[in-house]
Amino acid sequence: MDHNQGRRGHFHRGGRRGPDRRGPERRQVPGPGPAPDQASRGERNDRVDVEQIMREIRARIAQRSGVDLSNQQIHELAARRLEAILDPRGLKPELLDQLRRAAGERTVPVDAAPSAAQSYPFDEATLYDSPNGFLRFLRKLFNPLLRLLFNPTPVAHALAQQSRLNTELLQREADRDRRQAEWNALHYEILQRLALEVSRVSVDSQSLSMRVESLGTKVDFNERRVRTMEGTQARPSRPQESPQAAPQAAAPPSVPTSEAAPQPSAEGQPAGEPSRRRRRRRRGRRGPGAGVPAEAGVNAPAAAASVVDLDEGDGEGDEGFEEEAAAEPAAVPGGPEGPPLRSEPVALDHQLPAATEHREEPAAAPEPIRTEEPPHTPEE
Amino acid sequence: MKLGIVVQRYGADINGGAELHARYIAEHLAPYAEVRVLTTCAREYLTWRNEFPPGADSVNGIPVERFPVEHERSEADFGLRSDHVFSRRHSLNDELAWLESEGPASPALIDRLQKSGHEFDHVLLFCARYYHAYHGARAVPDRAILVPTAERDAALGLAMFGPIFRGVRAIMYNSPEEQALIHAAAANPHVPGVVVGIGSEIPGSVDPGRTAAAFGLAGPYVIYVGRIDANKGCAELFDFFIRYADARPAAPTLVLVGKPVLAIPDHPRIRHLGFLDDRDKFDAMAGAAALVMPSYYESLSMVALEAWAVGTPVIANARCDVLLGQCLRSNAGLYYANAAEFGAVLDMVLDDRALAAGLGRNGRRFYEQHYSWPVIERKYLDMFASLSSNPPAHRMEKLPGWLARRQSSLRPAAQVLDELPSGPVVGVLA
Repeated sequence: MDHNQGRRGHFHRGGRRGPDRRGPERRQVPGPGPAPDQASRGERNDRVDVEQIMREIRARIAQRSGVDLSNQQIHELAARRLEAILDPRGLKPELLDQLRRAAGERTVPVDAAPSAAQSYPFDEATLYDSPNGFLRFLRKLFNPLLRLLFNPTPVAHALAQQSRLNTELLQREADRDRRQAEWNALHYEILQRLALEVSRVSVDSQSLSMRVESLGTKVDFNERRVRTMEGTQARPSRPQESPQAAPQAAAPPSVPTSEAAPQPSAEGQPAGEPSRRRRRRRRGRRGPGAGVPAEAGVNAPAAAASVVDLDEGDGEGDEGFEEEAAAEPAAVPGGPEGPPLRSEPVALDHQLPAATEHREEPAAAPEPIRTEEPPHTPEE
Repeated sequence: MKLGIVVQRYGADINGGAELHARYIAEHLAPYAEVRVLTTCAREYLTWRNEFPPGADSVNGIPVERFPVEHERSEADFGLRSDHVFSRRHSLNDELAWLESEGPASPALIDRLQKSGHEFDHVLLFCARYYHAYHGARAVPDRAILVPTAERDAALGLAMFGPIFRGVRAIMYNSPEEQALIHAAAANPHVPGVVVGIGSEIPGSVDPGRTAAAFGLAGPYVIYVGRIDANKGCAELFDFFIRYADARPAAPTLVLVGKPVLAIPDHPRIRHLGFLDDRDKFDAMAGAAALVMPSYYESLSMVALEAWAVGTPVIANARCDVLLGQCLRSNAGLYYANAAEFGAVLDMVLDDRALAAGLGRNGRRFYEQHYSWPVIERKYLDMFASLSSNPPAHRMEKLPGWLARRQSSLRPAAQVLDELPSGPVVGVLA
């Protein structure tokens, strides 16, 4: 009688214990439907689905580390490595089987005591012993006669001594065999565990190296992103080569207040000056593989496109861009002649050099940066 | 109705899981029945040394009878016997000798049950693995209600417990996992059983800021409450947490509450507050971002239930069937099986406040629905009523004969346990 009403069958599974012991039926893969993300989770609050959250977490870990082996898989890997170490060409197959069996058992079954056939008890009476009762009687009867002819006692004594020695030797040999078997089992067990640990460590190290690689990529990406943003903000646009720039500059009242052009500095320095200083700073941080080509300053879309190309490769273009930019200080965005500098993010989605490189931290995706066009006025 | 409660230790200052369980049950059933506790004079479970005086006593208004323990536990002898019965073929006599060695061997307590156990309508026997429960069940089989508090340990694979699980009148389980495990081990689905668990003395209100201020806990923290012991998974917890904290500059603090048996690592993000009284404990728990339960084996985690009762989410070790099952059934806890999961789960609980609040609310609801005292009391009273109205449908199996008890035909208990099914039980009410 069970008092638990409304109970359904449980999902006990035999076999190994471990994180995956619930079996494949319980380890569901996120379905094709929309996976609830953290944003929506806040709304459903009490409708928290722990299993779903754990699936997400595990999927994220697997994606991040790239290596997500279960204990069972690691054991299999270790077993394969052990097979490679225990080369059958150098070892007797029977010995290997024996070692495996011994390692799997808690005690090593070795005959500790010699069998009755191996150790034959011998004393003075043994000489006259017989399974036949009549014969035994006759021997006993004629024993005095025998003793008259010779003394059997030393013979019996010597044989008894030999029998005891035999027993001891057999016992010692059995003990030695047992110890040897235990040592063998221990060595095999140690070897097995070593192989397991080596496998685990190698998986860990592989995972860590992937993580290092991923972090390196992330750092590189961020560096390039910073340079791109700086380059975009500092890049001048020539009014004569940018047909839309002149009307924009000519219609400052239509630009929202928050997007107003920067004021000249207190010293009366033109607004383009700070960006020149920024370029100088950037020169010091420039690394290989980053930069903007000389053509980047020609027009904004072209510059944006060329940033993509240069982010992938050589860094010498950056210097060319700076030289050209330095020659045209008046065309700095936000300056008196250039388009007003936007304080809002600018879309650079199409410029992301390698979106897959940044999968580790989706929340830290680069802010969109827009460089294509200056803001549109109502007149347009 | 007269109710006898038999437990290995009993006292207001004894806070072991099963002992506290027994005391709570005794005190909460006292309004409905005439409760009397039969226990030993021991205070310490490692030695069972007689420390309380034998005879009548009273604890929080509950009458208690104490009986002396015949011999203390010898760790060496118990270790050897455990190794023998857990890992080698053995006889029933070996198991009985193991039980005697484990203790608390109190023949006087068993005599009391045999001679005058009939004065009770029901006898609740706590902790199946101990001497008093085994022999107590054999002494009063038709009145015995077992509260096994069994974990997944090798003792459950011993053959001598099978007849006990099959022969008592009823079994009050702590969790569906425990019930499933015992059903598998003893084939006793015919024995009336109900998953009850245990409530706790939750204060009416908690002040999370008070303990934090008193102990200087600045910033978010996660808390562990219980014995700080490698057997409870604390070594692994320290390892995972240190790896986590070292990788994050703004890691939370791990606050430890309880008696240390294991050396606590010297780490700036680990704080040991020692043993706290209930008020401080609940305040600290309520202020924590989460309670961490790293234990591998539990029959029921009272601390997890207490955390849920105060609306704190739980982060549990996924290798513990019971904890995992509780997390899944309550939707109030996350779990981890390795360091990466530990870090990710901790990050999620700390970063997503809405999620943490949702988990906490689910936990509180789970506690109120299944582990609040009215629910627990009702389950016990229903069981008593059911047993009183129905005659026993089964009998306790007798001990095998003299020769059979000496035959080394029983398999190693660890091997038996390995073959039992494992995993959380899902789709049940509690």
